[in-house]
Amino acid sequence: MSEQQTTGQLASAASSEVMIEINQMNKWYGDFHVLKDINLTVHKGERFVICGPSGSGKSTLIRCINALEEHQEGDIIVDGIKLGKNLKNLDHIRTEVGMVFQNFNLFPHLTILENLTLGPIWVRKMPKAEAIETAMMYLERVKIPEQAEKYPGQMSGGQQQRVAIARSLCMSPKIMLFDEPTSALDPEMIKEVLDVMVELAETGMTMIVVTHEMGFAKTIADEVIFMDAGDIVERNKPEAFFGNPEHERTQKFLSQIL
Amino acid sequence: MAIITKQKTPDRPAPLSETSVVGWLQKNLFSSVFNTALTLITIFIIYLTLSGVVVWGYLDATFVAEKRRECYDNSLTGACWAGVIAWLDNIFYGRYPREEIWRIDFGGLLLVAWMLPLWLSKVKGKILIGASVIVFYPFLAGYMFTGGDKGWFMQFMVTGAITAFVINMTNMLVGLLKNTSLDVFLMQLSGQADAGDKTQRNILLAMVATLFVAAFLWQASWNVTEVVWTKWGGLFLTLVIAGIGIASSMPLGIFLALGRRSKLPVVRVLSTGFIEIFRSVPLITVLFMATTMFPLFMPEGFVLNKLVQVIIAVILFNACYMAEIVRAGLQAIPKGQFEGAHTIGLGYWGTMGLIIMPQALKHMIPNIVGNIIGLLKDTTLVSIIGLFDILGMLRSISKDVPWVGLHKEPLIFGAMLFFIICFSMSKYSRHLEVKLSAGDKH
Repeated sequence: MSEQQTTGQLASAASSEVMIEINQMNKWYGDFHVLKDINLTVHKGERFVICGPSGSGKSTLIRCINALEEHQEGDIIVDGIKLGKNLKNLDHIRTEVGMVFQNFNLFPHLTILENLTLGPIWVRKMPKAEAIETAMMYLERVKIPEQAEKYPGQMSGGQQQRVAIARSLCMSPKIMLFDEPTSALDPEMIKEVLDVMVELAETGMTMIVVTHEMGFAKTIADEVIFMDAGDIVERNKPEAFFGNPEHERTQKFLSQIL
Repeated sequence: MAIITKQKTPDRPAPLSETSVVGWLQKNLFSSVFNTALTLITIFIIYLTLSGVVVWGYLDATFVAEKRRECYDNSLTGACWAGVIAWLDNIFYGRYPREEIWRIDFGGLLLVAWMLPLWLSKVKGKILIGASVIVFYPFLAGYMFTGGDKGWFMQFMVTGAITAFVINMTNMLVGLLKNTSLDVFLMQLSGQADAGDKTQRNILLAMVATLFVAAFLWQASWNVTEVVWTKWGGLFLTLVIAGIGIASSMPLGIFLALGRRSKLPVVRVLSTGFIEIFRSVPLITVLFMATTMFPLFMPEGFVLNKLVQVIIAVILFNACYMAEIVRAGLQAIPKGQFEGAHTIGLGYWGTMGLIIMPQALKHMIPNIVGNIIGLLKDTTLVSIIGLFDILGMLRSISKDVPWVGLHKEPLIFGAMLFFIICFSMSKYSRHLEVKLSAGDKH
């Protein structure tokens, strides 16, 4: 889609430290088997892009990593902590894992600055002045410091999504998850959000991105994962994935989307 | 005509029908023969009604008279407001001793003064002020209204109330004059503005403690005569029952609503059962249960005064309605808000208190105010079980010897009173809605 990102690929920042480990994970919604025997290891600094047709389970997969959804079988180990029913673990995981949603999910009754400082102040128990300083730093980074006193409803979609990214970063997470961050945006706003994400990738953040922005995938991804009907059908380096997809379903999907 | 416009088309003024009064009349009232006829007929009906009301209620009415007979002597076709005027004190205060009425007025003024900072944009710490009203005001007002001996608990709460009130008032003054909050101002005043958080907190605590001790000594010297609750009545009693009912049923309703949506089965079933049972029974039944059945279940010698029983009944009954309003408000909040809150690590209470409730309450304002208005009107039911609230007082006028048989005027006066109170509440809620939604235009 957006060809402007294809120029030059980022060097991989992957190290040997394991951030996320998923073993034989299964999930059902009622009778419906959404995720089937998922195995995935993500190292620190690694950047994954997950794509696939709608209903393939890609969003569910990253929501499981953030414990927004429960899985029924297998293990998910995030930053050395096994996800389970233990509530204390869940809260801890969520502060370590940032997530950006398709619909931003900013808090409409709070100003941008309050949106950003809420987590650090109430969860991290950071002094207010320090939280504001951090928030302003991240707003600079997503290039909208002048909007700090506005409410989310007064901003464009692209700006809101950049605020959402800054909000996650304020919690200084170790991993960032993106659930179709540009799908709800008007075309002219997609680039500003993707640029912020590329910059984030340059800092060496561990990222898992569910997206159909293939240009973006080529730029930042260490590996691209293709999911279909709850299976990881194919995973490969971006050039191999796009240049020479092995699986028939991948080929069909790519031919529709590119 | 060209399909494509090369230049920018200039703006033209809007047609008359959109801007002038005549245009508006023509468009909305006289647009066709049929509509013109309807308009004229409606105007005629309004004229008939209004002129009747004005003649009866004002032109032919009697305002000064000693008894109903004199009203009739003056005019047979007019209203006899003299009876209502003679009973005004009773309508507002019931049989409260006349020389002690100032205590009720003072209590009311105190509430207004206490809440005043909530409307001033310059004053800081609104949440604390609101909380202090709910926690402390009832005790101070309760003592003002009842008087008599204070137990140690009452002494403690009254002292707390005085302390909170004094702090609140100084905070308001500081906010208005210096545009800052009281704690910051005190720190600057004492030259400790740069001291550490802990030192500052200790200094403030010491100040509050001193104030508390002073207030305690002061209130211990108060000597207010006791007025038994049976002498309470009129609009005062109605407002007390409704006020306590509303202030207590709100938090209770929030907890019931959260309970009903809880993931814990026991909590959910209990809350749902409680809500459904109380909601499916008329208020009058609950009131009768509370005043006649409830004492039967209690151990012998356990006497709870009737007013307390009535208030508890009203609270429980109204909390269930409040719970359903809150639940509806909670359901209107998109799931994404919960997820957004979870991803920044907020737990259940953090999510509810900081993210969900503030948004939900805003959606609920029209319904909550509707409920408050409903409750205020429903409390007149207590006149059936023998409390002399405003309705009870209005109806006793007709049994008073000089005014025997005077029904119409007192009830109309009561209706007007209720209309003024309820209509201003509804207007204010509308204003609140507009004000609160100013921030988020989607």
